[in-house]
Amino acid sequence: MKRVLHLKANGLIILLVLFGSVIFQNSHAQGAVDLKLNEILLYNDSGYVDEYGQRGTWIEIFNSGYSTVDIGGMYFSNDPNNPKKYKVAKDNVSTIIPPRNYYVVWADGNSLKGINHLNFTLAEKEFLFLYDANGRSLIDSIQIEEGIGKDKAFGRLTDGFDDWRVLERPSPLSSNQIKEEPSGAEKFGKVDPTGAGMMVIAMGVVFSALALLFFIFKYMGKVLNKEKTKTTKKDNVDVKDMVEDEMSGEVNAAIALALYLYKDQMHDYENTVLTINKVSRTYSPWSSKIYGLRQTPR
Amino acid sequence: MESGSFKDFVTDHLFEFFSYTAYANMTFGHVIMILVGLIFIYLAIAKDYEPMLLVPIGFGILIGNVAFSPGMKLGIYEEGSVLNYLYFGVSKGVYPPLIFLGIGAMTDFSALLSNPRLILIGAAAQIGIFGAYAIALALGFDANEAGAIAIIGGADGPTAIFLSSYLAKDLMGAIAISAYSYMALVPVIQPPIMRLFTTKKERLIRMKPPRAVSKLEKILFPLVGLLMTCFLVPSGLPLLGMLFFGNLLKESTVTKRLADTAKGPMIDIVTILLGLTVGASTQATTFLTPKSIGIFALGAFSFVIATTGGVLFVKFINLFLKEGNKINPLIGNAGVSAVPDSARVSQTIGLEYDKTNHLLMHAMGPNVAGVIGSAVAAGIILSFLS
Repeated sequence: MKRVLHLKANGLIILLVLFGSVIFQNSHAQGAVDLKLNEILLYNDSGYVDEYGQRGTWIEIFNSGYSTVDIGGMYFSNDPNNPKKYKVAKDNVSTIIPPRNYYVVWADGNSLKGINHLNFTLAEKEFLFLYDANGRSLIDSIQIEEGIGKDKAFGRLTDGFDDWRVLERPSPLSSNQIKEEPSGAEKFGKVDPTGAGMMVIAMGVVFSALALLFFIFKYMGKVLNKEKTKTTKKDNVDVKDMVEDEMSGEVNAAIALALYLYKDQMHDYENTVLTINKVSRTYSPWSSKIYGLRQTPR
Repeated sequence: MESGSFKDFVTDHLFEFFSYTAYANMTFGHVIMILVGLIFIYLAIAKDYEPMLLVPIGFGILIGNVAFSPGMKLGIYEEGSVLNYLYFGVSKGVYPPLIFLGIGAMTDFSALLSNPRLILIGAAAQIGIFGAYAIALALGFDANEAGAIAIIGGADGPTAIFLSSYLAKDLMGAIAISAYSYMALVPVIQPPIMRLFTTKKERLIRMKPPRAVSKLEKILFPLVGLLMTCFLVPSGLPLLGMLFFGNLLKESTVTKRLADTAKGPMIDIVTILLGLTVGASTQATTFLTPKSIGIFALGAFSFVIATTGGVLFVKFINLFLKEGNKINPLIGNAGVSAVPDSARVSQTIGLEYDKTNHLLMHAMGPNVAGVIGSAVAAGIILSFLS
């Protein structure tokens, strides 16, 4: 018995560990970890300008999540030994990044220009790090490629994904996928202009979902009824008699009506008939006079 | 001189005041919509057609069609207006899941559990949705618009609003009004179709009385139902999750207070807000378009296909069932999720042919399955077209 219990406990622990590891592997916490270094332009010759009309190296950060993230208080660095090299100022409306949106900082080494101007510059082969507000947890990092060239960006081909490439057309504050992607409806409408495909697939899925329920509850009903029959047999009740004695719908309806009428007539007051019910007085400290009265002062 | 300027002053201001009144801003479209609203209220009060829905919607139509001068933060589409805040629940799809929570808390799935094969009728009736989708495409609607319009065939107002809030916001008013109108007209639309596709012999089929369903089965249903349907169609989660959660509150019997709130005050409040704002969203200036008329026509068509699909499906499965186990095809119409109106139609028509053949409880099976089916269908459409 002891051994069985021990085995069961072991099994439970293994199950929990497996479950935990699956969750850990697949989970993506909402918030800071949703931020991704998305696109970097080192040699800005004729492209995007800052609020002073000047060109410089810019870094685009993408909020890949579906909730708002405030980048204020987080750190940028190009030195792993000094993760707190540049702290983004906190409590600023401008540092709040809406879901699936972008934020640009300038790596021009002049932090006096504003909160989105880093106090360091970037060069080829250098690393760029983004740390959480504690200055220890690394959110994202990237090593800049060599020989990118003027006015070309180094970025993810698809926003937030791990496919870094040299991008011919830089896209600060917008998606790296510049090509026009048709919406799901447009794609579906093109592939299935008559709606026949939708009808076949969707009816198939609806039927599958409800057929699953049908099979489960068909057999569950049978199993549960079998259990019930077994219990009844154990209690020496003749099941055959029970089934034969099962009442018809009409009898059930008559009983229900009788009960309804009976309950409906249980009024305290009806025309001139007054029903006086006994009020039970159960003891409780809340209703006790001893506790309710103030003590006589001595 | 002074009296003259005062007269001018008064006249100018009276004219200015008049320009702000609804009389000055009214168009022929507003008059039509006000008449529609009055008809809704008449049908609800005099004919007792879905009064819980038609009274708030009808009154909402009146509110939405008092022609004000734009820019006064009054209209439902004007940002910052009170009506716009209330409409938020519709435009962002908040109200429909809350309605589903209440529906779950008030629905007894026993009829379905006692005879699980009735679930499949609820699936068959969803053909109305996809039939309407094909026709809408043929009429030139975009795929997303066609998807939102098609869901009217599921006869489920909250689902229709939910889906259109994602796929076709501009058509939401027309879709909601159309869905609720046809739901109210279920007793008028369905009987002729049911009679057309059934023989007298079929209408007299007596079904076995439903077996008693244990408490354990009732508790397991929302749990298994949620996992089985939402794993397959996660996009139906807001609706199905709330539906099954509400049902668990009811069936667990340990959360009676929560179940009572969900099926009582909460669903009432949400119904009032939903009905009123959907009604008010039918401002003539945005509502009266050829598209709206097309939506109404498609809505009626999808109801006809759904009812036909349900009835014919029962006839089809009867081919494989032994005598004594057959299903009365008059409950096929109940596969659309207008609960409990379509089940009531089955009962009424059944009694016309046999005074002692009560089909109500049997029809409730496909009826509640239809609620699940239409939510699953909405999930599929959403995952394909969004």
